[in-house]
Amino acid sequence: MSFLGYPRPDGSVGTRNYVLVIPQGLIAKSIGDFVAGVRTIQTVDHGSGRTANDRECIARVLIGLGRNPNVASVIVHAASPGVGYPELKTERLADEIAAGGKRVEVIDPARDGGVYGAIAKGIRLARMMVYEASKLRRVEVGNEHFCLGVKCGYSDTTSGIAGNPAVGYLFDKIVGAGGTCFFGETTEIIGAEHVLAKRAANPQAAKAILDAVAHREALAKSTGLDIRTINPVPANIKGGLSSLEEKSLGAIHKAGTSTIQGVLQYGERPKGKGLYFVDCWMGSLSIFAGYAAAGSNLVMFQLGGGGLAGRDLMEGCPSIVAPFLWCTANPNTFKMAQDNIDFYSGTVITDGEDPQEAGERLYRTVIDIASGTLSRSETLLHTDPIDLSLEEPRF
Amino acid sequence: MAVKRALVMHPKDNVATTVEEIQPGDQVKVSGGGEVRSVAAVEAIPFGFKIALEEIPRGATIRKYGETIGKAGRPINRGALVHIHNLDGTRARGDLEGREKQ
Repeated sequence: MSFLGYPRPDGSVGTRNYVLVIPQGLIAKSIGDFVAGVRTIQTVDHGSGRTANDRECIARVLIGLGRNPNVASVIVHAASPGVGYPELKTERLADEIAAGGKRVEVIDPARDGGVYGAIAKGIRLARMMVYEASKLRRVEVGNEHFCLGVKCGYSDTTSGIAGNPAVGYLFDKIVGAGGTCFFGETTEIIGAEHVLAKRAANPQAAKAILDAVAHREALAKSTGLDIRTINPVPANIKGGLSSLEEKSLGAIHKAGTSTIQGVLQYGERPKGKGLYFVDCWMGSLSIFAGYAAAGSNLVMFQLGGGGLAGRDLMEGCPSIVAPFLWCTANPNTFKMAQDNIDFYSGTVITDGEDPQEAGERLYRTVIDIASGTLSRSETLLHTDPIDLSLEEPRF
Repeated sequence: MAVKRALVMHPKDNVATTVEEIQPGDQVKVSGGGEVRSVAAVEAIPFGFKIALEEIPRGATIRKYGETIGKAGRPINRGALVHIHNLDGTRARGDLEGREKQ
């Protein structure tokens, strides 16, 4: 019950060993273009015109990604002094990341000779930091150091029958070993919240689950629309799912059967270990950035794909800093996109494989990738900007 | 006549999920959730879609995983495809809000 990882000063363990650049300006990307082993957070949202709650959410994600166990050290690119919002001040971001004990450096065009000077300093710093990080060696650690996050997407009926149950088995195994697991997507537990609330560790956690759903459902109703014109998404309906309730009841299988310790905000770090529900939107890159900000050292996308004709290349997102695994239980999806898929459990449907055996195979795959084998998506450089899960209107 | 397969998730369910492409007239062997049953498909049902295991009157609850996944929007025959044309979701229906209040 162990994997090979990089121990960090705060006691967490990384499955990867990156230098992370946190930009307040797009030029920060230039550092990663020059230096190997660098990850750069790429988001289009820098807080402009956002409410204090949303700016705090952005700060939570940036700090959280900096503190992620897969990050060895961090460069923060300073905003222009005097014009930033208080929540996103460079010193605040740098100090809160450094509180975890890792090295944090700041590049600041106002002090470092302008934008060109700041890039030059950033490249020099990043080369040194990558070199220092490369001296670290993986060591064998217990599974209590796992922090997994999962979403299911392009769901079809194979998701609830064979894909999510394999992930659920893995979640139970990791939680049972003292590790941490996240599932989320509040819209996609509507119709299944009563099942989850019964599994809450205490009445407060049960109420938090029911409250999150009530809030989300009220927002959905306020649109005046039939939710089926929004979610299930067209690919879900094409894959055989007929209602949001059906989608939700299949979706919760990915969370296994363990006790739910509580509900976290998007990007919020849990106070303890175990299984947590994250109150957030479903967007693939958004949700994984939130899980990674909360401490995930590995994230998984459980793919249905029955409604995805011709999709033989799946996206990756290096800036999330957590290895991103694609799993599917749909035989047609697997055939179509085989070189993208890290784990396949359609055998539960076609060959009568026990879902627990499939879960055990998934467990071995996850141990292997956590210990250093690349996930399929990690072989891609392509990245899309992270769409942060912000809730409030812009002004 | 071909024999095809479908999976039922819970003994209380009145639909099963097809795991093969079903043609009209196929006998569908339904397993899981206890007993093995056989239902004759009355129409084509694609892989991963749902087949009705019994007559479902209009307005009746449709159950999968032992839970409610919606109501029948029209009467559904045993062996028929169950999907958005005859199954109505009941949650987060903003379009019904006004009507409920009247």
